[in-house]
Amino acid sequence: MLDFDRVEARGLVKTYGSTLALGGVDLALRSGTVTVIEGPNGAGKSTLLAILTLLARPTRGTLRFGDYDALELGAELRGTIGVLSHASFSYPDLTANENLLLAARLYRVPSPEKRIAVLRDRFEIGSFGDRPVRTYSRGQLQRVAIARALVHQPRLLLLDEPSTGLDAHSTRRLVGVVEDEKTRGAIVVVVTHDAELAASVADARVAIVRGRIAEAA
Amino acid sequence: MRDVLLAARLVFAKDVAIELRTREVVVSTALFAVLVAVLASLSFFVDELEARAIAPGVLWIAIAFSGVLASGRSFARERENDAMRGLLHAPIPPAGIFLGKALSTLCFLAIVEAILLPLVALLYRVDLTHVLFPTLMILALGTLGQVLAGTLFGAMTVRTGARDLTVSVVVFPLIAPALLAGVVATREIFGGAGLAESLSWAKILLAYDLVVGAAGILMFGPLVRE
Repeated sequence: MLDFDRVEARGLVKTYGSTLALGGVDLALRSGTVTVIEGPNGAGKSTLLAILTLLARPTRGTLRFGDYDALELGAELRGTIGVLSHASFSYPDLTANENLLLAARLYRVPSPEKRIAVLRDRFEIGSFGDRPVRTYSRGQLQRVAIARALVHQPRLLLLDEPSTGLDAHSTRRLVGVVEDEKTRGAIVVVVTHDAELAASVADARVAIVRGRIAEAA
Repeated sequence: MRDVLLAARLVFAKDVAIELRTREVVVSTALFAVLVAVLASLSFFVDELEARAIAPGVLWIAIAFSGVLASGRSFARERENDAMRGLLHAPIPPAGIFLGKALSTLCFLAIVEAILLPLVALLYRVDLTHVLFPTLMILALGTLGQVLAGTLFGAMTVRTGARDLTVSVVVFPLIAPALLAGVVATREIFGGAGLAESLSWAKILLAYDLVVGAAGILMFGPLVRE
């Protein structure tokens, strides 16, 4: 697997027709740190995240994962990225175990069954893992989504509004996962409107307004 | 190439596993296809000769609408929980997703056609015993083309709100060549055309399949990503 300990974006510009979504964003992310990206709706957070997941290409600018040109490598580097969103990316008619096995195979995890057993224990999925995802509560669904995002032990973990619709207990679990991943040495990025979540996990905070970095701390 | 085939296998296996559990695509499309064939037979049946002339049109109308229904249902599964985005995040070529989804839809439609063809033969007095091979050849190639086109533009329905508009404006005109060739070829076969004539239609359908398949492999990624 390709490895890196930093992500650096320089002058990222993204336009959709005549609409400017990102107007020259510079960003430096380091291993073992949690960077929270904040900003109002339409500020360009989702566009930035789409570029970091390598699903969208910037109109201009460079993006490097360590020594690798991320915009050139694309698919190969996607195997080093984990994404957790408010959507679970799971198939409702498959069980948690089947969804995790599919994800492990898509990410070519060696010994996928063993890895899934570890995740099942860590996120206490065993008691409901053989039921179709359609039958899960929001909290159970989130546990599956977290396990799915971590199935390949990603170097870069991107969380997009991860606390949407979660109760206090589930949010606490989420904070624990972010802390664990930081300790493991992952580069963690959290995009959120949740000020409480941001305050509890952030090592660095970046505010985006109208496609530009307004404030970095 | 190995990566594409591996991804296609995983997506195909996933779709089959879901279908085995829900039976949603096969049952809904088969019921729809049977309904079209039965209603048309009640409405249009005059005599045996007329019936044989109507049969190819009924067969392909049922297949066309069933194909669109199957592709639509297949991509509706990808919309729930944003599952398609989950596939796109994985380090697999989008062409593999396209081929896997096309292959699973083709299998589901093949099951529907295994019910539909004998039913049409029965209702419209078509003796399939001497024309079974060319009929199956045309059916397979025509269905493949429709499935490839339906899968390519089914992907668009994951990202657009105007799903019905996409189908009527893009998919139906795009599958029209396969549909027209399929209807005419089947008419000729049911009318007693030889294998040589069937093969010339088969070549047209094969060319269509190759063009749409190549377009799907190249365009699926850009269509679903941004």
